[in-house]
Amino acid sequence: MSGGLAPAPFAPVARGVLEFRPMIEWDEMHLSMRDAVRKFVESEVKPKRDALEREEILPYDILRKFFDAFGVAEMNRARGESEVRRAQKREEAVARGEAPPARAKRDGPDPQAGLELAMRMIPVIEFCKYSPGLITALGVSAGLTPNAIISKGTARQIERWALPLLTLEKVGAWAITEPGSGSDAFGSMKSTARRDGDEYVLNGSKTFITNGPYADTIVFICKLDEGNAPSERKVVSFVLDRGTKGLEQSKPLRKMGQHSSPTGELFLEDVRVGRDRLIGESEEGRGREGAKETFVSERTLVAAMALGIIEQCLSLSTEYARTRIQFGKPIGEFQLIQLKLAKMEVARMNVQNLIFRQIAMAAEGKSMDLAEASACKLYSAQATMEVALEAVQLFGGNGYMSEFHVEQLCRDAKVLQIYGGTDEIQISQIARTLLARG
Amino acid sequence: MKILVPLKRTADPDNANKIKIAPGGAKVVTDGLEPKPNPFDEYAVESALRLTENGTNPKARLAGDSVVVATFGAKEASQTLRQALAMGADSGLLFEASDENLDGDLVARALAKVVEREKPDLVVMGKQAVDGDSNQVGQILAERLGWPSATFAMSIELSQDKKSVIVGREVDGGVIKLKLALPAVITVDLRIVAPKSITNHVTPQTHNYQEGARYAPLPMIMAAKKKPLAEAPFASLGVEGVKTSYVKFEAPPARKAGIKVKDVPELVQRLRAEAKAL
Ligand SMILES: Cc1cc2nc3c(=O)[nH]c(=O)nc-3n(C[C@H](O)[C@H](O)[C@H](O)COP(=O)(O)OP(=O)(O)OC[C@H]3O[C@@H](n4cnc5c(N)ncnc54)[C@H](O)[C@@H]3O)c2cc1C
Repeated sequence: MSGGLAPAPFAPVARGVLEFRPMIEWDEMHLSMRDAVRKFVESEVKPKRDALEREEILPYDILRKFFDAFGVAEMNRARGESEVRRAQKREEAVARGEAPPARAKRDGPDPQAGLELAMRMIPVIEFCKYSPGLITALGVSAGLTPNAIISKGTARQIERWALPLLTLEKVGAWAITEPGSGSDAFGSMKSTARRDGDEYVLNGSKTFITNGPYADTIVFICKLDEGNAPSERKVVSFVLDRGTKGLEQSKPLRKMGQHSSPTGELFLEDVRVGRDRLIGESEEGRGREGAKETFVSERTLVAAMALGIIEQCLSLSTEYARTRIQFGKPIGEFQLIQLKLAKMEVARMNVQNLIFRQIAMAAEGKSMDLAEASACKLYSAQATMEVALEAVQLFGGNGYMSEFHVEQLCRDAKVLQIYGGTDEIQISQIARTLLARG
Repeated sequence: MKILVPLKRTADPDNANKIKIAPGGAKVVTDGLEPKPNPFDEYAVESALRLTENGTNPKARLAGDSVVVATFGAKEASQTLRQALAMGADSGLLFEASDENLDGDLVARALAKVVEREKPDLVVMGKQAVDGDSNQVGQILAERLGWPSATFAMSIELSQDKKSVIVGREVDGGVIKLKLALPAVITVDLRIVAPKSITNHVTPQTHNYQEGARYAPLPMIMAAKKKPLAEAPFASLGVEGVKTSYVKFEAPPARKAGIKVKDVPELVQRLRAEAKAL
């Protein structure tokens, strides 16, 4: 542009007028958290990885140490206690014949929520660099299981069972999958509860249950059999303790990966429980919707697991490409190897951006709907699997050997496409939402 | 009681094998290595925290006690100070400087200025930085201040009246205990972070600390953001002049591969005949 100043197309906005802070990178506090957790993982998890992989030690002591050292147990206890108080208020209101107070929903930005989500995700990312199974075990024990009790349970139930799970004093399991019912969890569910006087009699078997072999507290999801057709039965959940008569917890199943997360079967034969163990102490337990809420939070966490695995594969691969010499030069100089690294980097950027979006949304007081959470999970899981397979390939024979760890991450990654809803189920959920938008 | 802990950032000591020597041996190149706090300095922070708290409630300093951390380094070194604040220190001081323009003597003189301003009752520091391994700042600082000092501390016992400390030092065949009147300078060794190395007559005798420097709990990391961290140029301390100049750096010679022996008799035979060790 020659001559004088061109007029600005838009009037410049005075600084400070707009408080617009998109999340484009981890901030200083996030990095402090990452460094602290990384130090823990490198000194407490890394040396025990082989023992965890060979299933010589269980994941729970390491996780408890993390919970105590990082104040997570304490924060979770405070959260659990506030949930107990909230449930008490709700029960008091109902007893007075009033409408239960709605869950306080903030309108507008909520930076604290963003920070809290970041605080949950950062340890997930760091742990998954070495042992994704630890996060599977942790997510079920201190996340999925107590959350199922909190979302529908009474104050007494939350205090009695959710609190010790939130602090990891107790190990939890959440059981919906059965030998004959997986993706179609509710449709083909065979487990039943029958009323018998003041009690219920529970029967059925569950499989692929994370922490199943060692759980102290189990949320058992089944159908209320009132003599009606299975498709019309209500879905209800019960809390069971380890050692309850008629409950059998199997040994860990042998599996492809995730060796640091024990997975097992549960068998229930005429297990008798009181109404105090029926979550919500009501047969109108909103069983199906409750499970859906659980899916959203489960799916968002998968992106953080994915990023941990991807970052680790990328950093191991880059280092290997730099140092492995063939045909007289580092393999990183071959274009086919460069392509692998570049694809891994693209995946890393995309998954990291999905995580930033989730954190930014939380800070804005928003959350993903089920379709977006599904898209996020689908992409993260597939990208992780591709990256991990490419990493094995880049390492050649060493990639196939345990010593170099990419084979472990590769086997561990596969489950991200299966649990929390398979890829195929995510795809159909996304498509159904799109088609319904009309 | 107020404790000053000087901190230094060093290139990731766990990956020290990755450092390189610049062509001509002019300097050590640490590119690509993550900066981490010098481990002995972390032990010093841990020691200072243990001296100023009840171990059963490590979140708060005892009434009247405080821990100040200080560093001379790049702007990014504030991250290292924040880490110490998240562990429990109360405030941080960053004097912006570049490592190349510092030596042990200048750091000690600068620290003496910080001591003049901050007036701590005790300086606790690492016995050495794991990059240069010079092991001299604590000693020079004590000399300049005219304070008593104890180096390589493996235990510290603070007297009930907080006027003196008894410092344990490991020596061949045993432990020497030195009594120092405060103010004083202590440099610490690895064993200072054993479960019972520090006694302050407040933490119950039965209390066992976790081995090592503590992790910063996540809520403390958030709280650390609000703690005071002052930044100033190094020049504001009014000291200058490096007395050490490095002539040349050389990487240690690559180690020759060892040999494998069949059995114990062969080992003994070789130790006797070749190594002449027996
Ligand atoms: C390591 C691990 C831990 C687990 N932990 C738990 C746990 O703690 N608690 C728990 O309850 N469950 C758990 N599960 C179970 C997990 O949620 C199920 O495996 C998953 O939901 C899939 O069900 P399924 O295995 O029965 O597969 P199926 O549903 O039988 O699926 C078989 C194949 O058919 C496809 N398919 C099914 N339906 C459709 C459709 N409508 N359209 C297109 N394709 C379809 C699937 O995508 C899949 O490829 C865990 C599983 C694993 C592997």
